[in-house]
Amino acid sequence: MQVVSRGARNLLFVLAILFFGVPIVWLLLAPTKTTNQLQYLPPLAFGSFDQVGITAGNLFGYNNGMIWLWAWNSVWYTATSLVIALLVSVPAGYALAKLPFRGSTTVLFLTLLTMIVPSAALILPLYLEMSSVGLINTPWAVILPLTFHPFGVYLIYLFAKTTMPDSIIEAARIDGCSEFAIMWRIFIPVAWPAIAMVTFFVFVGAWNAFFLPFIMLNSDTLATLQLGLQLLVSSTGAIGGGGQSNIPIHAPEVALAALVSVLPILCVFLFAQRYLVAGQTAGAEKG
Amino acid sequence: MPSQSSSRSSRRWRSPGWFFVAPYLVILIAFGIAPAIYGLYQTFEVTSPVGAPYLSLTKNFADVLKDYRLPTASWNVVKYLLIWLPLMLLVVFALALAMDAKRTRFAAITRFVTYVPGAVTGSAAALLWLFMSSPAVSPIGAILRHFVDKSGSFLSDQNFALILAVMGTASGAGGWIVVVYGALVAIPQELIESAVLDGANAWDTVWHIKLPMIRSYIAFILIVSIAQGFQLFVEPTVISQGAGGQVSRTWSINQLVFSYATDQSNYGRASALAILLLVVCVALAVFIITRTRFYSTEER
Repeated sequence: MQVVSRGARNLLFVLAILFFGVPIVWLLLAPTKTTNQLQYLPPLAFGSFDQVGITAGNLFGYNNGMIWLWAWNSVWYTATSLVIALLVSVPAGYALAKLPFRGSTTVLFLTLLTMIVPSAALILPLYLEMSSVGLINTPWAVILPLTFHPFGVYLIYLFAKTTMPDSIIEAARIDGCSEFAIMWRIFIPVAWPAIAMVTFFVFVGAWNAFFLPFIMLNSDTLATLQLGLQLLVSSTGAIGGGGQSNIPIHAPEVALAALVSVLPILCVFLFAQRYLVAGQTAGAEKG
Repeated sequence: MPSQSSSRSSRRWRSPGWFFVAPYLVILIAFGIAPAIYGLYQTFEVTSPVGAPYLSLTKNFADVLKDYRLPTASWNVVKYLLIWLPLMLLVVFALALAMDAKRTRFAAITRFVTYVPGAVTGSAAALLWLFMSSPAVSPIGAILRHFVDKSGSFLSDQNFALILAVMGTASGAGGWIVVVYGALVAIPQELIESAVLDGANAWDTVWHIKLPMIRSYIAFILIVSIAQGFQLFVEPTVISQGAGGQVSRTWSINQLVFSYATDQSNYGRASALAILLLVVCVALAVFIITRTRFYSTEER
């Protein structure tokens, strides 16, 4: 009985590793092969290191290094909206929890309300709003909406509400500390787990944004990597187009571009995994 | 006492809280409240082929509901959800429970492998699964080749829901496995031990202790996934680009919204459909919450 259930469990794990792992391994190996090898070598065969160089050369040479521009756009759009989002959300969440004022409950209510509205439903009105102020087809049409992150404000609010004792704030006030200094010197140093979580969500959301840049931007030079991937496929016919174009962008190059576009998220994920596991063992010890 | 409370309320007026919240308030209004209200207003503004736009309470909704593409798109999305949600819940709970049954090193490795595809999202995931469903290059190409149509393509409007469901499971399950496994680990060990002393076997503890205790996660996963599923846009858009016309450009409801806005410049209809979609999502969420008593604090 024990042996059977152990065998069944391990079989389940093997199937899971195949289902979840094979596509990722395939993606990692695809740039090592030529289009031809991709079709006729076994799916998980390794091509050659030289071929990686050729594939990378083709991809990075596409349209005079267009992919570098897309990568740079992704980086600075994401970084700018992340910085603004943090500068705005952290004080707001803290003040809503610890410095109540007339109207603070209304702000909190509106935050919760906008949290449940899917961002896709707001994109068309945002487009018209941006076009009325003449920001369409500029980076700001993408960056500014991404700075709005009600979920982040709510997370900081919850953290401040549950873990920051009022007595500490009172004590600091009596000692003559300004409200800003209390937040900066006392709250932020202890709130880093919540701030890290908000950073994670804003970063992943901004880097992966597709619908927003898809609608707001129409010149290739402003595109992000996410949008660029789609442009790469549609403008070269690399997949499904029969590979008739003489631009050297085919399946291996597209696979490499996909890898490049997910690299930062992959790093953040691997980093976050360590915290997730650490959090779990901490819970296990307490239990 | 009264003087203290009045000084407190005047302090609330001049509270520095305002300065902390002011920048957020600007962003909240500009990118949250204003577009929501504007979108709501637009649902009543009818674009007519001749003459100026006019206001009507129902015209846009009626036009959208009459569109012949809407039933097809809705059915596509519903079909996708009907395959995806049970498949993902099954994978998530089977794996999380198996990992919790014996916390071996192999289980930890499996958890890591299921978690990694979560990083491959958006257009990259769409492209990856476009490859996975191309008979020529897919690791399971030999199997797919039996199901190709005359043009040599495996993708079609009919099986597209299935491919998206498999893709959604591959990229979505890992994150939930971590969450559900974390919840299982948090169940007090004494509870399981005392059940075992009373003669419960491994299956009994799963059915009578573990599953009831993590029940609320089922509702949580369902609510988040249904909202995501109804908003489906990136994957069908990117995949249909590469599928060479095998998949309709208005396959999902959100693609239809987008088509109203860009192909026809009819923002009224686009907003009306977006609002309808939102209403359905909220209604389903309320239904699931009330049916599973998601927020009830009393545990069995």
